[in-house]
Amino acid sequence: MEQQRTIQKRVRYLEEKAKEVRVEIVKMIHEAQSGHPGGSLSAADIMTALYFDILRIDPNKPEWPDRDRFVLSKGHACPVWYACLALKGFFPIETLKTLRKFESKLQGHPIAGKAEGIDASVGSLGIGFSQAVGMAIEAKMTRSKYMVYTVLGDGETNEGIVWEAAASAHKYHLDNLVAVLDRNNLQNDGIAEQIMPMEPLDEKFKAFNWHVIQINGHNMADVVDALMKARDYSGKPVIIIANTVKGKGVSYMENVRGWHGKPPNDEQLAIALEDLKGSLK
Amino acid sequence: MNLEKASKPTRRGYSDRMLEYGSIDKDFTVFDADIGYSTYACLFGEAFPERYFNMGIAEMNMVSAAAGMANSGRTVVVSSYGVFLTMRAVEPVRSFICYPNLNVKLLSSHGGLTAAIDGVTHQATEDIAIMTTFPNMKVLCPSDPKAAEKLFDVSMQTPGPFFTRLMRDPLFDVYGDDEEFVLGGSKTLRKGSDITIAAYGDIVFQALEAAESLAAQGIDAEVLDLYSLKPYDKEAVLASVKKTGAMLVAENHQAKNGMGYEIAHLLLKHCPVPFDNAGLEDTFAESGDYPSIIHKYGLSAEKLAGRAAAVVQMKKEN
Ligand SMILES: Cc1ncc(C[n+]2csc(CCOP(=O)(O)OP(=O)(O)O)c2C)c(N)n1
Ligand SMILES: [Mg+2]
Repeated sequence: MEQQRTIQKRVRYLEEKAKEVRVEIVKMIHEAQSGHPGGSLSAADIMTALYFDILRIDPNKPEWPDRDRFVLSKGHACPVWYACLALKGFFPIETLKTLRKFESKLQGHPIAGKAEGIDASVGSLGIGFSQAVGMAIEAKMTRSKYMVYTVLGDGETNEGIVWEAAASAHKYHLDNLVAVLDRNNLQNDGIAEQIMPMEPLDEKFKAFNWHVIQINGHNMADVVDALMKARDYSGKPVIIIANTVKGKGVSYMENVRGWHGKPPNDEQLAIALEDLKGSLK
Repeated sequence: MNLEKASKPTRRGYSDRMLEYGSIDKDFTVFDADIGYSTYACLFGEAFPERYFNMGIAEMNMVSAAAGMANSGRTVVVSSYGVFLTMRAVEPVRSFICYPNLNVKLLSSHGGLTAAIDGVTHQATEDIAIMTTFPNMKVLCPSDPKAAEKLFDVSMQTPGPFFTRLMRDPLFDVYGDDEEFVLGGSKTLRKGSDITIAAYGDIVFQALEAAESLAAQGIDAEVLDLYSLKPYDKEAVLASVKKTGAMLVAENHQAKNGMGYEIAHLLLKHCPVPFDNAGLEDTFAESGDYPSIIHKYGLSAEKLAGRAAAVVQMKKEN
């Protein structure tokens, strides 16, 4: 009962945080007039749960050797990563205004070492996942306790390297590796299952000897529960297939291909902020 | 020279022509890797769905499959960003397209720092070095949409593999409808007597602007647009340099192993003159707006004018 209540409180806190994250995403992409809103918004609940509940990290010690590692393998969605890092205190919120601008630490696609909290360079799909595998092997080899988390796009699973990484994670029994697949069923050119049919994704990962959990990626209670179970699971790497909506939270962006990599104009920003405010209880 | 702002980027010029060409040549096919809305290869896909194959985000598979189809003699256009075509899929391009000399035409968008705002992972700044090194490969780089249209035809009408470097954003229009482009050709966009500035793609415009400011300092620069990089117009380069006695090669690419190195080699053999080449100096760039990025990395008109003036000074001191 008591435990139930604290979980509910945590979930409510995270739901509020996720709204702040979404607001920062649309604001920063509008300011940059460039960037990828759709996949940032679909991953916002997952990323908020990771950054404000699951990851063992310290914004004052971004290089802390025992910190959990995080890799946003779908690197184009970095506005959601930057928003979480800023709200968590890794760098000032003001910095978000410099996204993609000249001499900003917030590169168009994240580069390790440029901004605090970015553990790996990403932006070429598939490669982040392999880097996460390498980090998890390093943790095993050095008997370190930290976990490695990564978030993948569903279009990203078209890349052969994703399956090469999956096979190697099994070989090295990487139960310290947790992947989340942002299953929003859209990629650059259209509906993911039409561009390249990948189903059954759960059976594929099971066949690669991964433990698979399927959830609604916008139900915060489910997201937190799945991440805790994945963290505690032993013997196998875990993938959480999170069913999501691309553009989630902004009415006109939801499930619309065209919002993969396009910034909102002033008018559209106002509507987006109104939508997100409306979602605040 | 008064330049008109371009109505579209070269990637669009190439793809618009590819769409038209779909009705002229009914046999060629187009392969894409989930980037068709960005390269505009989707326009062909909408008009000719039975000849358009979107292989998803899987560049190495796409390029290798294109090689397989081209094995039958068919011409196949393959569309992606430069970084992915020249690095993610580099081995099949080399061993299974260039070596067997197949009719595969690479549509390569986001060349050089024209993808400035996207950052280093999306900036193809080694593509020319990689692609010009492969035997049988021919390499083109149009500077405006009209040139992109015409060079598409050149690549389709010449057997063997082609790599065409295209730009992300619209820049300027230089060429009229009746301009001719040939494999191994170049254009002299400005005549001059003190130094030759050879450039290609977007940097042609910086070179032209540099030439204007050099003129104000009493330096008369000749500007060449090397739209064909392999083969390139050695005769035109040598003729120009014999006249001007100095050379600056400027390219949106690593300074190492690009056209600067290529031309230095030619001049050393046939016509050694004071020389310099501008490009990325053994460094990665970063994200930002295009004008700030090319200025920081030495490719703005202002920086090129400075470099050119220094070469002319060398000539005087010689
Ligand atoms: C290797 C590689 N190929 C192509 C791209 C260009 N690109 C960026 S995002 C994207 C679509 C990604 O779709 P998905 O993984 O489903 O991401 P999401 O829907 O979450 O945005 C593509 C093709 C890239 N970044 N890397
Ligand atoms: Mg997707």
